[in-house]
Amino acid sequence: MVSRTRQSLAMLAFALSAGLGATGYASAQEIKTASKWGDMNSVTQDLLSRAAGDGNNFLHTNGNYAQTRFYPNRQINVANVSKLRPAWIFQTEVKESLETSPIVVNGVMYVTTAFNHVYALDARTGEELWHFKHKMGPITVYCCGPNNRGVAVSGDMVYMATLDAKLLALDAKTGKQVWETQIADPELGYSETMAPTVVDNKVLIGTNGGEYGIRGFVKAFDTKTGKLVWTFNTVPENSVGVWATKDATGRDMKRNIDAEKAQLAKTGDPYKTLGGGVWQNPAVDLETRRIYFVVGNPSPDLDGSLRPGDNLYTDSLVSVNLDTGQYVCHLQYIAHDVWDLDAVSPPIITTVADKDGKPIKGVLHGGKTGHVYVHDAKDCSLIRFSEAMVPQENMWVLPTKEGARMLPGANGGVEWSPMAINPNLNLTYAINLHQPMTYHVESSNYPAGKLWLGGAFKVIPTEEQWGNVTAVDYNTGKIRWQVKTAQPMIGGILATAGGLVFTGEANGQFKAYDAETGSNLWKFQAGAGVNAPPSSYTVDGKQFIVVGAGGNTQIDYKRGNSIIAFTLAE
Amino acid sequence: MTSGKARTTAALSAFFACALTSVAFSQTASIDEKAQTCLQCHGEQGKAIDPSYPSIWGQHQGYLYLQLRDFKLGNRKNEIMNGIAQDLSREDMMALAEYFSQKTWVNLNQPRASEADVKRSETAIVSGQCGACHGADGVGAGTTPRINGQSHDYLLKTMEDFRAKVRTNNPWMSDILGTLQPEDLQALANYYAGK
Repeated sequence: MVSRTRQSLAMLAFALSAGLGATGYASAQEIKTASKWGDMNSVTQDLLSRAAGDGNNFLHTNGNYAQTRFYPNRQINVANVSKLRPAWIFQTEVKESLETSPIVVNGVMYVTTAFNHVYALDARTGEELWHFKHKMGPITVYCCGPNNRGVAVSGDMVYMATLDAKLLALDAKTGKQVWETQIADPELGYSETMAPTVVDNKVLIGTNGGEYGIRGFVKAFDTKTGKLVWTFNTVPENSVGVWATKDATGRDMKRNIDAEKAQLAKTGDPYKTLGGGVWQNPAVDLETRRIYFVVGNPSPDLDGSLRPGDNLYTDSLVSVNLDTGQYVCHLQYIAHDVWDLDAVSPPIITTVADKDGKPIKGVLHGGKTGHVYVHDAKDCSLIRFSEAMVPQENMWVLPTKEGARMLPGANGGVEWSPMAINPNLNLTYAINLHQPMTYHVESSNYPAGKLWLGGAFKVIPTEEQWGNVTAVDYNTGKIRWQVKTAQPMIGGILATAGGLVFTGEANGQFKAYDAETGSNLWKFQAGAGVNAPPSSYTVDGKQFIVVGAGGNTQIDYKRGNSIIAFTLAE
Repeated sequence: MTSGKARTTAALSAFFACALTSVAFSQTASIDEKAQTCLQCHGEQGKAIDPSYPSIWGQHQGYLYLQLRDFKLGNRKNEIMNGIAQDLSREDMMALAEYFSQKTWVNLNQPRASEADVKRSETAIVSGQCGACHGADGVGAGTTPRINGQSHDYLLKTMEDFRAKVRTNNPWMSDILGTLQPEDLQALANYYAGK
């Protein structure tokens, strides 16, 4: 248990580090409360920009533009979390994989479900305000479940991207659709499961499809009209790179460079079908007008023979200019990946120690390899990588027809699940999977929009699987604490100024941990897999923690349809 | 279960019955009229005239469309279907796919799988991660087919064809089924057909 003195010091440190001064973050009383029927105040850019210090709302999928998932209210804290009780449960009409991050604006909550439903709820009571059901087009192509990870909010609009690769704008008060735009052609393997990010009148969105031979991108659309503003292709026309033989951690990847060069001479640059999806939100740095995102695997996943070169910018952290989409910098974790151990968990911007211990602006990414990577935000270069959070064995054995065993399995490491940080403790929190797999290669030609893995990754059914919640000191790369869980972890995590970390498990357990020690301080059985990132908000002076419990398709966890909000018992 | 020989004879009879009656679509025919051609083999009440033909009533529109497209492009081989699809425009294929997707899925009353087959299937489903695309109950969505309750003989033949790379319009299915044993395929056909 954290002592009172330590808590006070931590709070003071936070207030100073967040630059909040004497007023601190806003209290619930300072914001006009919403009416029962969703009288949402317009979400201004200023509100979005200041979200990191907003102790009332939860305005971004990952809390704020830096994507810290660190919620600044401490009403619920290590001393009283044992009194946390369900305040309400809302059941959606879709009992399928639930990955939504609830967004809360002035007492109104927006959640999404699989197959692109959106609900607006009264965040005090869970009462439904409106329900929008997207009329799905016939062509939906997606590898890992009919998921959706939530909405973005701006002005009087709510934005969602869909499985049939559309971007929708809804009226936040009524749920009526205002506009829609086709992001890409779903018949070619494009689909959307990520939440958009809205900044400076632009809606930013990546794409799924790295399993289908797409050419990935991040696009910016106008918030008012849905018109395309810019496109950054995550695979450049020259995707060959520098013929890197070692990964970012210095391990040999056993590439046959001569064979690749011969293939390049024969078939040319494979950029048109090279994959490079962007599964998760970019972190936004308004100061430098840059965004940072990670790019997923090359297509086909396991068969490198058809795609010579480093396959830029797959498996990379990439930064581009927010206003133009122009390339700024990148760092590739794995060149010519043939294991699907790509980059999916959204990056976080925070102050980190450089190699000399000097504080600089840094970027964190939790890799499927099982490392937390720490970058210099200025040029994307790697400062350090953490100890491995999961067992690594036989890296980098090449996939074979019969199947080669290697750890981690293809889900990671850290999957799409966002990490959180506690900037007062210099800790980042990740949830991990240990899923032993064999990697099989089987060459096949581009199948025009069909699943194209170039082989298979197969779970080894006789080997034990499990997960972790891991706290990593990003200034040293050392693991501070680690808690083992019964199943591999997928979903997300939330840290709060109350010294807590919240995350859920496949078996329905939703837990709170002491952010500093990893002690389990509270738990609740949600009845279905808790495989979604939690959020927090405050209305009428009461802080809530909210999370979806609907299981997961990707690793087949028990389905449900609940959004559960918790608050302290009276 | 139908013996191999009887099954072959039945399939051949059905093939000729369909082949004799399959005609080019009239460009002016309505979708209802065009659908009549499909019903000759896939069944006027949604039960195909031969168990080696798939149930298409209630199947997902996206999946049906992609199969028609692939038949037309020659990416999926079937003498009858390749001929039929040649005369279909994209709009026709989408409309036919919609037409059949809106019909009610027909219960073929196939027997439940044995405990041994269920156990074998569940292991195969975990290692092959079948649920990640076909869903927890095998009901699919969009362009992923419903396999729950599909005709046993069609399911088995489809898996065997994918495994042997006779059917080539979804390489992933060949890749993953190539890692399973023939006995797994038998168990999976029994399992999903009987669900």
